[in-house]
Amino acid sequence: MSATITGWSRGSVVAGPDRAALASWTPGPVTALSDRPLPYPDAHAVVDFDVRAELGRRGTSFLDRATSLAVVACRDALADAGLEPDDTNRDRIGVALGTTVGSFKSTSEFSLESKISEKPYLVNPVLFPNTVMNCAAGQAAIRFGLRGVNATVAGGPIGFLIALRYATNALERGYAGAMLVGAAEEFSEHRAWAHALSTTEPKPVSVGEAAVVFVVEASPAGRSPQADVLAVCTGYGPAGGRERALRSCTRRALRAAGVGREEVVAVVTGEADEADESEYQPVTGVLGDRVPRLLPRVYFGDCGAATGGLGVGLLLAGHRGIEPSPAGAALVTGCDDDGAVAVAVIRVVRA
Amino acid sequence: MAETCARVVVTGLGPVSSIGIGPAAFAAGLREGASGISPITSFDASGFPSKQAGEVPDFRPERWLRRIDQDAWGRSGQFAAVAARVAVDHGGLDLGDVDPERAHVVIGTTSGESRVLESLTVQFGIDGPDTMDPGLLAKLPASRLAHAVSEELALAGESITLATACSASNYALGYAYDLLTTGAADVVLAGGADSVCQWAHAGFYRLGALTEDACAPFDRHRSGILTAEGGAVLLLETYEHAAARGAAMLAEVLGYGANCDANHPVAPDQRSVAECMRIAHRNADVKPSDVDYICAHGTGTPTNDAAEAAAIFEVFGHRPPPTSSIKSMIGHSMGAASGFGAIACTLAITEGFLPPTVNWSTPDLAFADLDPVPNLARRARVRVVQNNGFAFGGNNAIVLLGAVR
Repeated sequence: MSATITGWSRGSVVAGPDRAALASWTPGPVTALSDRPLPYPDAHAVVDFDVRAELGRRGTSFLDRATSLAVVACRDALADAGLEPDDTNRDRIGVALGTTVGSFKSTSEFSLESKISEKPYLVNPVLFPNTVMNCAAGQAAIRFGLRGVNATVAGGPIGFLIALRYATNALERGYAGAMLVGAAEEFSEHRAWAHALSTTEPKPVSVGEAAVVFVVEASPAGRSPQADVLAVCTGYGPAGGRERALRSCTRRALRAAGVGREEVVAVVTGEADEADESEYQPVTGVLGDRVPRLLPRVYFGDCGAATGGLGVGLLLAGHRGIEPSPAGAALVTGCDDDGAVAVAVIRVVRA
Repeated sequence: MAETCARVVVTGLGPVSSIGIGPAAFAAGLREGASGISPITSFDASGFPSKQAGEVPDFRPERWLRRIDQDAWGRSGQFAAVAARVAVDHGGLDLGDVDPERAHVVIGTTSGESRVLESLTVQFGIDGPDTMDPGLLAKLPASRLAHAVSEELALAGESITLATACSASNYALGYAYDLLTTGAADVVLAGGADSVCQWAHAGFYRLGALTEDACAPFDRHRSGILTAEGGAVLLLETYEHAAARGAAMLAEVLGYGANCDANHPVAPDQRSVAECMRIAHRNADVKPSDVDYICAHGTGTPTNDAAEAAAIFEVFGHRPPPTSSIKSMIGHSMGAASGFGAIACTLAITEGFLPPTVNWSTPDLAFADLDPVPNLARRARVRVVQNNGFAFGGNNAIVLLGAVR
């Protein structure tokens, strides 16, 4: 299996295309984003994001923040690839987006409206679709006229990687010719509090906000390849067997990619910081070498389902001079609090 | 299209529904035209004009679950886990004989752990943001619907939750079909789960899509859905795997199609729905004239049923196969809906009957030639069935099932 990344949302809402921009991505004040108290005043948010400035007034009035971020990232990925949906190709362009619960804020506020209204049905029906987890993928399809298979996967911290797995299957099976693959997580007081109240990490990173989307194609057909997705594997370790599952998943991914252990030049993990080796240790145990590690959460905060996409973005941006090309490859790994694991094998193509 | 390797068969059914738990009870309900609609107990519905829903009565997961602690999982995850356990038992599958890394779980949903989210909403919005219970927050991620199954059955393959709203079970069945037919799996538990919750009830009401009395799909006076819940999981295997263990093969998954309206967030699109049928037929190598029965999306809203019927006529011509909606009996169970549809399709094949559309009285002249199998189940020889699933976001997915060749 192999698919090709021909474009991504490099300049939109995650960070600039250059290494400096990625490295300097720091938390900023977020109190302006909420009219409720926040657990902390700073977070990794796209504070000045304005969907109307990005997409205009038409069709944006009722989009929530998560959907807005995702739609803008889809626009930028299409532009970066030079892929213009039209009547000759739109039936063959699909979408696969990862999420945790959709927009926790949109759903919770809609639900609260029903709970506290004098009449429990006095909710705003226009906002109802925002409570459904496939809202972002559906709105991206509407805005750009994408009629191919349209999927939303709920994968929590490995949401992006599962979306990539789903999309590469759709391409391999011939259901689509190109897939927009990504994930979006918004900053909100709901996510900030959920993150602050539930984290068990000793030095928790702040909650993060990001949308990142890639154009992934079965064959690039005239567009410039930026990276090859050599394999994506996912699995589960029941009864606390997550580490074993991650080791097994790593072996399967390397085998499926046809990549030797010695060819892996870097790993990108979903861990919180350098001290956390819950993924790095099992993965490098399989590799037999403590290769350099990139930690998207250190730069972007906890961006939930978008974490793996940010990791691929770091590789495409050549962050820290890591070059998984032309012979090498990098692993992008992730796991969740239960036992789900995922590993993608990525080779960057330098022009 | 990639080369297809393995045939995919259904060997076990796990319905956890408002008309019964387990394939025998569910089949009996479909044959009788039973109603699973009852007064809502999940939340205080006294302020709503519509106070009925298709809840699973007296749901006691501890009767079924053997490995997981039900208190660690939300209601939707419990539905998924129980449905999967029922499917495995029905299929007579000894999990000790399965390679756990080649046994996957794919569960569809609309609202995930909606009841958990409602509880957190009350804490956040009324008692204050810092009062949210970390134990509830841990139960919130929708990915846990599939994980509940993986834990309950101790499976190490993929554990994926597809959140494509009300067609999500068909998306799950489709992805499961791909895993099996490409050789990535021996066994997949696939289907969907959702729970009745206040916010969906309110949302559908305000969209004008919730009926105050009975759900009457394809009836001229149809007035909307009734929200419902449950878990619907099918045990799927490669033909070789099922044959090697001597399993009873109930039906074969012939293929599926999925596309997107890319038009409106909630209104169905006849042209796009018809195209989804053509895609599904092409992928499954089925002609319209092969199809003996259509298990409709059939929500009972004026717009869905009109668009769906028109799409059926567009693809099948003026004499389409009998087309009924089991939502008339069990309500609209959201992400589980097309899973229940697939179970009903399998039973139609194995037991030789068409499930009825109950509550039907008056033909709609806009699609007078559509046979909704009104009110009474009908004996029939059923070889190929089409299971429709449509959703918010324009997420259409259609699965074709057939008698085992």
